[in-house]
Amino acid sequence: MFYTRFKVVLPLLAILLSQAATAGPMGFNESFMAMGDFNNNWRESFINYAVTPRDAFGVSATYMRADDKSKSRTLEEITYTRLVKRWNAPHAQANLWFQGGVGALQGENKLIGENRDFDKVMITPGVQFDYETTRVYFQASHRLYRASDINHDFTSVRAGFSFYETDYDKTQPWLILEARNMNGLSEKIEVTPMVRLINKSFFVEAGVNNSREPRFNFMYIF
Amino acid sequence: MKKLLLTTLVFSALFSPLAFATQTIKANVNGMVCAFCAQGIEKKMRALTQTQDVYVNLKQRIVAVELKDGQTLSNDKVKAIIKDAGYDVTAIEISEHPVAHIKAELEAKQGEK
Repeated sequence: MFYTRFKVVLPLLAILLSQAATAGPMGFNESFMAMGDFNNNWRESFINYAVTPRDAFGVSATYMRADDKSKSRTLEEITYTRLVKRWNAPHAQANLWFQGGVGALQGENKLIGENRDFDKVMITPGVQFDYETTRVYFQASHRLYRASDINHDFTSVRAGFSFYETDYDKTQPWLILEARNMNGLSEKIEVTPMVRLINKSFFVEAGVNNSREPRFNFMYIF
Repeated sequence: MKKLLLTTLVFSALFSPLAFATQTIKANVNGMVCAFCAQGIEKKMRALTQTQDVYVNLKQRIVAVELKDGQTLSNDKVKAIIKDAGYDVTAIEISEHPVAHIKAELEAKQGEK
């Protein structure tokens, strides 16, 4: 029984994995990459410049809010992105990234009967792993968002597939499913199916999460 | 007689197929799976003064760089640009066909599959 399933699953996996999508957090050497990730509770704008093929420095502005709107945060940080390791196969690519930043966190906790505002220094080191072919995509990332007495660590996992392969100068549609959590801001796991359109000039994603809130992401290299 | 010989030599050199031979550097590339990410290869290649045209084929893992008449570009330079863009060159060859021809050939091959 197991052997029969193995015989079916293995070729299917081989087909999927042998088809030759990457979207790392930095562009090619001496390029700028602009990124945006927007929904009701998490809005991030980010731009970096690749000073080498593997290193980029940038600035980022993030707005975070709790599901019940009792807490809100804004973070402005200087960021560093490093391509730690890249694996290139004939029809696949995998990457290990380091992303980190240091910046100013402003916060507001609306508790019953009082409002508490604060300013703190926040550090945000994290790692991301991704694996892509022209037909399948997987990404896992974990990033610490820490300041004194604050822990908003961010974890996300994404997986998806493209509907069909396209030529280099055509737009390729994908379906991506993401699950993510922001510690201390949300008790639940936010699940968002998104349609991704990827082209040699742009990268956009749009979807609606499991709280029926819209989500929009983009990346642009110049 | 000498003048005639010289003129003949100059004309034959100018109008021989060799004088007008197109030179395209064709590289097989590993890891090139997404157009958004591979745009760096195309942009860096097009920025070279020697480049006439560039063609990228993700399915066949090919990057083809057609050179302007009389221009040269070393294989090492092409490899270095592709490597800097984050990919690995597994093979490289010189073709006498222009990019348009290589594109038509590869797309026909894809159509057959």
